[in-house]
Amino acid sequence: MTLELPKSPDDLPVSSPKWVGKDVKRVEDPLLLTGRAEFVDNVVLPGMLHCAILRSPYAHARIVSVDTSAAEALPGVVATVTGADAERWARPSFTAPEGWGTHCLAVDKARFVGEPVAALAATSRYLAEDALELIEVEYEPLPVVSDPMASIASDSPLLFEDKGTNVMYQRVFTWGDVDEAFEAADRVISDSFRWHRVGANPLETFGVVSEWDPVAEAITCRGSFQSPGYFALGRSATFRLPPNKVRLISQPHGGSFGGKGGGRGTDITIMLSRKAGGRPVKWTEDRMEYLVGGGSQAWDRFYEASLAVKNDGTVTGLKVKLIDDLGATAEGFGATGATKPMASFTGCYAIPVAQYDLTLVATNKLPASPYRGMGPPPHNFVLEQLMDIAARELGIDPGEIRRRNYIPPDRFPYTIPSGNEYDSGEYEAALDTVLEMGDYARLREEQAAARAEGRHVGIGLVSTIEPGVFDWNAYGVIGQKSIGVPEGVTISLDVRGKIVARVGFALEGQGQYTLAAQLLADYFGVELDDVQVIALDTLSAPPHFGPGGSRLGVALTGAVLGASHRLRDKLVRVASHLMEAKQEDVELFDGVLRVKGVAGAEMKLWQVVGAMLMRTDLLPPDVDPNPQETYVWTAPGRTQPDEQGRAKSYLTAANACHLVVVEVDPDTGQVDILKYFIADDCGTRLNPATVEGMVQGGVAQGVGAALLEEYVYDDEGQLLTSTFMDYLLPTIHEVPMTEKRPLVTPSPFTPLGAKGAGESAIHTTPAAIMCAINDALSPLGVRATEVPATPNRLWKLIRDASDG
Amino acid sequence: MTQRRGVRLTVNGTPYEALVEPRLTLVDLLRGELGLVGTHVGCEHGVCGACTVLMEGRAVRSCIMLAVQADGASLMTVEGLSPEGQLHPIQEAFREAHGLQCGFCTPGFLMSIYELLQNERDPDDEAIKDALGGNICRCTGYQSILESVRLAVAKVKGPPT
Repeated sequence: MTLELPKSPDDLPVSSPKWVGKDVKRVEDPLLLTGRAEFVDNVVLPGMLHCAILRSPYAHARIVSVDTSAAEALPGVVATVTGADAERWARPSFTAPEGWGTHCLAVDKARFVGEPVAALAATSRYLAEDALELIEVEYEPLPVVSDPMASIASDSPLLFEDKGTNVMYQRVFTWGDVDEAFEAADRVISDSFRWHRVGANPLETFGVVSEWDPVAEAITCRGSFQSPGYFALGRSATFRLPPNKVRLISQPHGGSFGGKGGGRGTDITIMLSRKAGGRPVKWTEDRMEYLVGGGSQAWDRFYEASLAVKNDGTVTGLKVKLIDDLGATAEGFGATGATKPMASFTGCYAIPVAQYDLTLVATNKLPASPYRGMGPPPHNFVLEQLMDIAARELGIDPGEIRRRNYIPPDRFPYTIPSGNEYDSGEYEAALDTVLEMGDYARLREEQAAARAEGRHVGIGLVSTIEPGVFDWNAYGVIGQKSIGVPEGVTISLDVRGKIVARVGFALEGQGQYTLAAQLLADYFGVELDDVQVIALDTLSAPPHFGPGGSRLGVALTGAVLGASHRLRDKLVRVASHLMEAKQEDVELFDGVLRVKGVAGAEMKLWQVVGAMLMRTDLLPPDVDPNPQETYVWTAPGRTQPDEQGRAKSYLTAANACHLVVVEVDPDTGQVDILKYFIADDCGTRLNPATVEGMVQGGVAQGVGAALLEEYVYDDEGQLLTSTFMDYLLPTIHEVPMTEKRPLVTPSPFTPLGAKGAGESAIHTTPAAIMCAINDALSPLGVRATEVPATPNRLWKLIRDASDG
Repeated sequence: MTQRRGVRLTVNGTPYEALVEPRLTLVDLLRGELGLVGTHVGCEHGVCGACTVLMEGRAVRSCIMLAVQADGASLMTVEGLSPEGQLHPIQEAFREAHGLQCGFCTPGFLMSIYELLQNERDPDDEAIKDALGGNICRCTGYQSILESVRLAVAKVKGPPT
């Protein structure tokens, strides 16, 4: 049953919220600050063995033989596994699109450098890595394809011979009369763009400790699982076990940013534990394994895109053609990043028609994974560059062309051509805010002055949508058919009126335990310290998903408030019985159960709970003596994709407007970020400090994507950026300290009016920086269309312009 | 395997002795043998700074040092910041200014900042950035870390006299 939940913090049963909406100090922090959080690598179990994994040095090779006998003879090596074990015990991984998966250990052939080929468990990690060198593998190298354009060609080597092609998916979605819009346009703005592979890189890599129970034939895994319930279902399918035989315990994570959970590593350790008679087997992915073979890489994209534009700047149509290189298989949900842009395809703009020509290709590279934002950041980069090119060609200011195309506030809820519905927004207000913050007119004057001195200063100004609260239907067109991503919370009160909230996910960094505590403290009128939040394992927790898809803040709010409502109703039944009042006359308010209008007629929480737990003789007959309730929240009103893939998928549409000033050094191609202003509207801010922190974190990742980070492969499919010396994460020296101002346009569709908030800046920053770079380069007549805009790429562009 | 060697060291004021392989890294000694798991491993190749500890008062990367190199040394790890359970002013500042999100890199940052504040009473932003240039945080975007350090400086200095 769906409950009616409070639309605003003012609707909470408290005179004035003391915690919700405030910059609350996080309840998680003392544990983390003292180094006491139990990250998975801290876990030590009796009899525990350590796993090491042997990986393919070839991007494409037939596996002729694997001989583990010498490794097994080394004292301390307890178990080994190879592709033959995987084939015997496990199924190939689930994939989207379907049928492009492999086993967790290569069977017959390896398809990318870093693919696991064999693994072993030994009494120490040092010994395990020694023993790897004793495994003999005979490979027969096969022709490699690492370029998706070559992979599409008919003479390409095939990754899956039985498919007869490397094209995993090809479809053109057409929303409205696109041809007519482009024919009727005054101008058509077109360009090609390249976005190179980037990825999550949480500071903690993945880790797991797995136990196979040989008697019960059941699995227990402790790990840094971002989505424990979902990963448990995956293990159940992989090992052909009923779901109640798979128990995942999610440890606190050192960040995730998409898809932490490592199916292969989990499955390999499960098989090793099985071979070792059920002894626990631990695997901690090292950083180089993460970079070459983990959930580290996303968005390897080639775009061709066009805008249909009128002379007054009105945009009347958008066409995007994307070839996305997913790497060797379709495991790991990389493909979902190519369909998510459909949730905000036309951005903040009232563009009436659009087309998406989408091709997903296999190559001999690491399978793509999700990364924060799940796909729109490159799409937004493309759309915003086109907006700027249109503005430049028409002689309109970049802010003005956006203003002329924004969806106006009175048209919400607004359905975009690709089918998703935006809940609310004030895009022009965000633009005006950021223009005022930066004193835009003055920035342009300063830019003119700098140009007069021969400096290459540019201004980027972009607006984006952050789709929030994902549902599976956003990925329905590539095979995620379900609707209703659950978040369940169980809350209980004890005899002292203190609260325990039980959730199905672990700490990851977004401050969600604090959010649960804030909500409960206000709802039941207690202090923040009176609430404990406990993570349950997958067999104990109510249906849950955990963090992901800018969803958990909203979903958790719904779940906590729903459970609180149910518990309140129960307390009211008991209290009204004990106070001999009518149920409808008793309410929970400011932490007491009181008879409306009767001064002094009230009971404290502990008194009601005390009666429930210790004086059942006093209870009304229809109440069980259990001060505990559960509620599972899902997003309402989600729809199945229609024949053109249109669906109401993401529930909320947050908005951000970024204004950035950069300077490009023509001698080195180096970009300096001089100023950065952000107006951000994610509806009601439940804990403004954590929202601001996530915005700034997204800026850092956006700076990385725009300027620094890139996975580079050579023609033989070898990764050339397999350390942090080559894959460059932004440090405190590269990330701008930004000026931020919030706007609050509440969502009419969510509890308390909050919107998904974790991904806004990574949706916006790369586009904003690239717009600024191109503004800086515009006097030279060149345009950067490749991300990241590394010094070398920009230097070449500038040099070529000077040569010309 | 190679002959094990004896290592004696002091960590957070407590003396320890261990018999280790010469190839054992310092961080594996701290975490695996001594049970001091507050120091984290982020990259194991000396770039990310998560494993930063103090050796004789100087910040070092415990993932690219060998345990035997710490023989005879006095070390401090994050566990030494709040031995009585009372948060150190730097930790307090991080909590107040939201200087952390996932918290995995945080112990390394805390140690780098501890070293900085031992050497400089009133570092400016550039000095703070220089001291933290070898610590990577993937969550916060550093702004709240910078604010935390400014706040910690104020706390450590105390009210103006």
